[in-house]
Amino acid sequence: MDVTPELVKKVATNARLVLTPDEIKRFQKELSEMFEKFAILQQANTKNTKPSFHPIDIKNVTRKDEIGKCLDREEALSLTKHRTDKYFKGPKVI
Amino acid sequence: MIKKFVKEALSGKIDIVAHALKCLEQAEKINQEYHYITEWADVETQAKKLAEQLKNGTAKGKLFGVMVTVKDGICVKGVETHASSAILKGYKPLFNSTVVQRCIDEGAIILGKTVQDEFGFGGFAVNVGKGFQKPLNPVDKKRATGGSSGGAAGAAALFDFPHIALGESTGGSIVNPAALCGVVGICPTYGRVSRYGLLDYSNSLDKIGPLAKTVEDAALGLEVISGHDSHDSTTSDQAVPGYTDVPGVVQGLRIGIVKEAFGETINNDVRKAVLEAVHKLEQHGARKIEISLPYGMTYGIPTYFLLSTAEASTNLAKYCGMRYGAEEQLTGVYNDYFARVRSNNFGDEAKRRILLGTFARMAGQRDAFYTKAAQVRTKIIEEYEQAFKQVDVLITPTVPMASPTFEEIKKLTPVQCYAIDQITVAPNLAGLPHMSVPCGKTGNLPIGMMIIAPHFNEQKIIQVANAWTHQ
Amino acid sequence: MDTPIVIGLEVHVQLKTQTKLFCSCPTFATEPNTSICPTCLGHPGSKPVINEKALEFGAKLSIALGCKIAPHIQFARKVYFYPDLVKNYQITQQDDPLGRDGQIVLDDGKVIRIERCHLEEDPGSLIREANAVLADYNRSGIPLCEIVTKPDMTSPAEAREFLKKLMNILGYLGIFDQDICIIKADANVSIKEKNYTRVEIKNITGFKEIERALNYEVERQKVQDVKLETRGWDDVKGITYSMRSKEEAADYGYIVEPDLPTFHIDTQWIKNVQSQIPELAHARAARWIKEWKIDPVDANVIATDIEVADLFEQIAKKVNPITASHWVRREVLRLMNDNKQTLKQTQFNSEGLTEVLELYEHKKITNKIAQNIIRELANKKFSPKAFVKENKLETVADEGALEVLCKKVITEQPKAVEDYKKGEEKSLMFLIGQVMKHTKGTASPQIVRELLISILK
Repeated sequence: MDVTPELVKKVATNARLVLTPDEIKRFQKELSEMFEKFAILQQANTKNTKPSFHPIDIKNVTRKDEIGKCLDREEALSLTKHRTDKYFKGPKVI
Repeated sequence: MIKKFVKEALSGKIDIVAHALKCLEQAEKINQEYHYITEWADVETQAKKLAEQLKNGTAKGKLFGVMVTVKDGICVKGVETHASSAILKGYKPLFNSTVVQRCIDEGAIILGKTVQDEFGFGGFAVNVGKGFQKPLNPVDKKRATGGSSGGAAGAAALFDFPHIALGESTGGSIVNPAALCGVVGICPTYGRVSRYGLLDYSNSLDKIGPLAKTVEDAALGLEVISGHDSHDSTTSDQAVPGYTDVPGVVQGLRIGIVKEAFGETINNDVRKAVLEAVHKLEQHGARKIEISLPYGMTYGIPTYFLLSTAEASTNLAKYCGMRYGAEEQLTGVYNDYFARVRSNNFGDEAKRRILLGTFARMAGQRDAFYTKAAQVRTKIIEEYEQAFKQVDVLITPTVPMASPTFEEIKKLTPVQCYAIDQITVAPNLAGLPHMSVPCGKTGNLPIGMMIIAPHFNEQKIIQVANAWTHQ
Repeated sequence: MDTPIVIGLEVHVQLKTQTKLFCSCPTFATEPNTSICPTCLGHPGSKPVINEKALEFGAKLSIALGCKIAPHIQFARKVYFYPDLVKNYQITQQDDPLGRDGQIVLDDGKVIRIERCHLEEDPGSLIREANAVLADYNRSGIPLCEIVTKPDMTSPAEAREFLKKLMNILGYLGIFDQDICIIKADANVSIKEKNYTRVEIKNITGFKEIERALNYEVERQKVQDVKLETRGWDDVKGITYSMRSKEEAADYGYIVEPDLPTFHIDTQWIKNVQSQIPELAHARAARWIKEWKIDPVDANVIATDIEVADLFEQIAKKVNPITASHWVRREVLRLMNDNKQTLKQTQFNSEGLTEVLELYEHKKITNKIAQNIIRELANKKFSPKAFVKENKLETVADEGALEVLCKKVITEQPKAVEDYKKGEEKSLMFLIGQVMKHTKGTASPQIVRELLISILK
C-alpha cells in the first residue's frame, strides 16, 4: 500500500480537510507506517466469514409513527450566529 | 463509601448545599494543578433543589447528593460539551444524555465535564484539542493519566468526596486510565448502557461506564445508568440485575489467563503483579486455566483502528461550522468554508484518524480494509465464545506498562502510541464487559488488572473484583 | 444497444407517514424550522430510531412493484458535504436494499425493469442567496422510498407513462398524498448520436417537471457537446445546467449505519403487508373487461383513480356495469376534470349516482335529464328520485301529448321542416331538440323522432 502525497491530498479533499505542505509530508510518513503495521491484517483467514458491524446481535428495533415533541425554533437557532430570525445560514452553493 | 453517604444524606443528617459547595471548592483547587475539569456545572442550584426535596419530604434516589463528573463527550444540557475539541467550543447541548438524566433522576449533582483526548482519539489523554490542557497523573504530575477518559480517572483518584466519574470506552478508554491512575473502571457490555447523548467516536464500539475509588461505588454507578433506552436502537432490553450486592466469592470459578497478554511486550512489574493477584484468587478457590487468543491479540490493533476510524470519519463529518460550535466568517463556497473551519479546529490526531478512516472506506479500498476488519471482528468474537466455554472470566494486565512520562510519549510515533491499546482493543471489539482494578504498584505507579466476562455478565467481573479487593 | 434515446430514472417518493423516518417530528409544518429536533438537526449525540410505518409503506410499494423483499435489510451512511444535509451523511441503503427486481408494464406491453427499491431520509431545503444559503430543516429526515429503474425507457413519453403508472400505484396503496407529498427524480439520459455519453440530471421535483426536463435534455444533447457529467434542472428558465464532471464523481465512502440494527424480515410480516395491498389498477381493469365486458379504454381510465374505481364498482352492483362505466367516464370524470377536483372534493356519492342511473336504465328519465341531474349531484347531495318527482321530470312517453307538441313545433319552425324535406338530417335533430325544449328535456327522444318522421312523411 503506497501512501503518496497525492493520495493524502485526495483523501483530505474527500474529508474536507486542507493540509499544509508540511502536514502532507508528515501525514504521509505517519500513515505509511500505519499501513505497514496494519498489513498483517491481510494474513487473517476470513474465508466464508460474515462481517460483524455490531458486536452483539441486535435486530428489529422500531418506533411507532406518533408525533413527539419538537425543539423550539429560537432555541435551536440560538446555538449559532449564522442565522436569521427563521433560518439557519450557511456558506453559498454554486 | 457512597451507599453510606446517600443513607445519611436522605435522612437529613447532611447540609447538602454546604457539602456540595465544599466539594466544588476542593475540586476547583485540585483542578488548578491537574486540569481534570473543562467546564463546571451550576452546583449550587442543583444542591438547593435537593435541599428543597429534603424539606418537603420528596427526597429520593440511589445517588442522592453524590457528585458526578461527566466525560466531556457526554452531553449535559446547558453545559458546554466539546469532547475536548476546539470545533465544539461554545456548544451547549439542548438535551441531557440518558446516562446524565438517570443520574439526576437518582438525586445526583452534576459537578462538571472531565477532559479527554479529542473525540476519544488517544490512549494517554495527551491529544486534547486546541485550547484544552492535558490532565496530569494524580500520582506524578510529569506522567500521563492514560486515556481517553483521563480527566475522569484523575478526578476519581483525587476527589476526596462521594463521587462517580462517567467515562467512555471505544478501544479501552475506561480501563486504561483507571489502571494508570489507580482507580476502578467498569466498561459494560455494548448495549448495556444507552449512548444517547454521547458524541460518537465509533458507534459500534462506544460504551459509557463508571470510574470510582471502589468496586462498590463503580458498581452502583453502573446500576444507575444501565438499562434499555428507546432513544438508542442499540440498547438491550435485558433486565438490569443488582450490581452492588454481588458476593466476592471465587470458589470453583475458572479464570482464564490470556497467554498472549503476558508476553515480552509487557513490563515485568506489571506481569508479576497481575500473576500474583491471580495466584491469590487461586488461594481462595479459583482455578487458573491458560487460554490462547491469537486472533484478538494479533489482529486486534489493525482491526480496531480500521473499523473505529472508518466510523469516526463519518461521525466527524457533521462538524463543519454550521448550526452550532466553532464558526468563521461565511466567505467562500461551501466546500471551502467547511474545509477551513475543520482544518483550523481539529487537532492532529483527529485529522490523522479522519484520514485513516476515510481511506479505509473509499471505493476500491473498502473490501481490503473496512470489510476485512469487520470479518476479523467476527473471528475475534467467535474466539472469545470458544474461550468462555472453558472459563468463566479472563484476566490480563489492563495495559502493558505503568504511566509513561510526557517526554517519553513525545518520542513515540502515532502508531507506536497505539500499542498501549494492544490488550484492551479485543474485548472492546467484541463488546465484552470488562473492568480494571488496582492490583499493585511499580515504584509508586499504579498497576491495573483487567477482568473480562461474557456478554451481559457484569456481575461475574464484579464478583471477581470484590473477591480481589476484599481478600 | 441500438435505440436513439436511453433513459433511466431514480425516483424519490415521499411516504405519507405522520412522522419522519428516524425521529418523531411531524412530516408537515407551515413555518420554517419548526419541525425539528436533535436527531433531524444532526446534533452531536443524537441517534436515529426507525419509523415502523415507513418500513411497512416501503415494503408495500416494493411488493406492489413486483420486487422480492430481502430477508435482511441494513442501512448505510452515504457521506457527502452540503448545507442541507445536517450530518453531512445521509442514512440510506446500499448493499442490502428493501426490494429488488420488480417491474412496471406500460400499456403497449413494454416492461420497464426496476432494479431496486430502498428507504432513505430526505435532506433539508435551501434558499440560495448571493453570498450564503438559508436552510430550512423541516424536510430533513422525511421518509423517502427510492425506486431505481434500469435504463429501459427509450423516450420522454415512455418515462412519463412510467411515472403515471407509478403514481397510480402509489394512489392505490394510500402511501402517498399528491397534495402534500413530494416526488423527485434523478434521470440518466443519453442519445445514440453522441455515443450514449451519459448525463445525469439531478433533483427534478414534480411529475410535470420530470417530463419537461427530459424533453429539454434530449433536444439539448442533439445540438450541444455532450460530456459525462451531472446537471441540474432550472425549472424557471426551463434548462439543464452543468453541476460537476462525472469523472470527479463523489466517493461516498459507504459504511453500514452502526446506530441502527439489522432488520430481519420474516415471511409472516411480508404476508401481512401483502394482504393490505388492494387489487391494483391494472388487475382491476382486466377483471372488469373479462367479467363485465367493459370497453378496455373506459376500464383503464376509470381504474386509474382508486376512489372513482371504488365508486364505479358500487354503482355496478345495481346498475348494468357497461352503462355505469359510460356514465362514470363521460360524465362523472369529465366534471371532475373540468373543475380540477378530486372525487373527495365533489359531492358525488354512490347512492345518488346509483339512483339516477337506475332511473335512466328503466327509461324513467331521458339521457338529457340524467346528464342534468348528475351535474347537480357534483355540487350537492340529494335524492334524484325525489327530485325527478318534485320537478315532474319523468320521461314523457304519452304519444298523444307528444304528437300535439310535435305538430306545434312543425308549425313554429317552417324553415327547418323545409330543410328536412330537402334531405337535411340535421334539421330533424333540430326539430327534436325543439320538442325536448318544450318538455324541458323529458320527452322520450326516440318517440319524438318517430312521431316527427311519420308526421312529416
